[in-house]
Amino acid sequence: MIEFHQLSKRYGQHAALTNVSLSIAKGELIFLAGPSGAGKSTLFKMIAAMERPSSGKVLVNGQDVGKMPASGLPYLRRNLGLIMQQNRLLLDRDVLSNVMLPLLVTGATRGEAEKRARAALEKVGLLANAKSEPMSLSGGEQQRATIARAIVNRPQIILADEPTANLDRGNADKVLDAIKAFHGVGVTCLISTHDEQVLAKAKRVIQLQQGQLIDAGVAP
Amino acid sequence: MITWLRHHAFALSRALRHIFKPKSGFLLNVIVVAIALALPFAGLTLLENVRPMSEQLAVEPEISVFMTMDLPRDKAVAAADSIRKAVGDPSSVAKLEFVPREKALAALNEKSGMTDVITTLGSNPLPDSYVLKLAGFRNAAEAGRVDAIAAQLKTLPDVDTVQVDSTWVKRLAALLHILQLGLLFLALTLGVVVVAVVFNTIRLQVLTQRDEIEVSRLVGATNTFICRPFYYSGALLGLCAGAAALGVVALALQPLNGAIAEFARLYASEFRLAPLSLPASAMLLVVSSGLGLMGALMSVQRHLARIS
Repeated sequence: MIEFHQLSKRYGQHAALTNVSLSIAKGELIFLAGPSGAGKSTLFKMIAAMERPSSGKVLVNGQDVGKMPASGLPYLRRNLGLIMQQNRLLLDRDVLSNVMLPLLVTGATRGEAEKRARAALEKVGLLANAKSEPMSLSGGEQQRATIARAIVNRPQIILADEPTANLDRGNADKVLDAIKAFHGVGVTCLISTHDEQVLAKAKRVIQLQQGQLIDAGVAP
Repeated sequence: MITWLRHHAFALSRALRHIFKPKSGFLLNVIVVAIALALPFAGLTLLENVRPMSEQLAVEPEISVFMTMDLPRDKAVAAADSIRKAVGDPSSVAKLEFVPREKALAALNEKSGMTDVITTLGSNPLPDSYVLKLAGFRNAAEAGRVDAIAAQLKTLPDVDTVQVDSTWVKRLAALLHILQLGLLFLALTLGVVVVAVVFNTIRLQVLTQRDEIEVSRLVGATNTFICRPFYYSGALLGLCAGAAALGVVALALQPLNGAIAEFARLYASEFRLAPLSLPASAMLLVVSSGLGLMGALMSVQRHLARIS
């Protein structure tokens, strides 16, 4: 589903990723571990084509996203559920409207978008907060709202970059449980985290350090 | 097709939402653009009112054709055919009137009060003549054709003198031409001002909606989807400013017409400035919306690329 071939990314003299090669199968739940600056976020950005490789390839469903034309990127991203460390909810609209956005982008009717957005909010336990302003939610609730927005389009892949950072244990568990629930229905999930407790229970952990792949984990 | 329409409806609703947002500054921008548009709109209104009057004045330039003194009457009358042929295009001849020398003398007597002088001369000093009124001459270039026809008439046998009074036609046409050019220059300059104002307004909008643009990109929005609300904002700004400018010009005509009516009465005229016709007003609204759209297009293309 996702393959990296000799992937490198440089920002001037700084090497963010160096010769990373690994593959992730469809439906896997993978944790990405490594200290700050290891290249975890850069790897996510490569998959979502927010950054282009300096060398090597990233294949998503067999497509080289590094060579994908700009016009093709929106259609790639509609198949990805992106959850970033900073939740990036839009503050000028309520939670429901935030979750509806990915559907309206694809041309869904307002009615259909609202119905599916409510279903997504229900899955993450936030239906009661549908009409709340994002700023009135706690950090954990905001992150779950971001998950609802990421999954509302029924993506094939979920990319969660440090989704539990800055959250207490209880909220962190809720957020991870919400993401794992989608893995349960066959969605490929890639989660980066520092959380040792979470990593201890993980089936496959990919370790990065200073942009290099230390351990690709054991593929099932 | 339905999805496309849905996208447009969404973009329009986003644009309207931004317009009606408190402190969006939309009204202020409309006023600025309307002021810039009001000047060329007022000029166009004036020109549209003056043009029919000038066309009426210039419609029949006159050429006086004086025959030789000793030409027999029957030959002078028969010269009408050769005059018509010399003009060429029959539709250019609005009227060809033969003026017998006796009639001309009587008119001279009547008009100038020179009865004593004419009586002293003993005989009629005036020749038979023709007054040729030409049709369809409206501007300076066409007035040049009047001169060409006069030169052609002068080559006819039995014609002694040809007198043409097209100077005033040329002057009026040249004045109108200058007015038109001035208006065009003013419209172009202020058109650039309108585009610049919209460009800056949309630039600020793009910057304030930076988060929304970035998130939309992350969730799979195409560039067209992201840009469309800004295009609508620009076009709506142009449309509202155009309507406001037309309203201002129409309102300004009320007091102006009072003063013009008083002035026109001195010349026994009922001239007054009328507002632009409905099709002309609609055309100006299309143009002002187009200018707004152009400003938005330029701004979005420039600033969206920076965000990506």
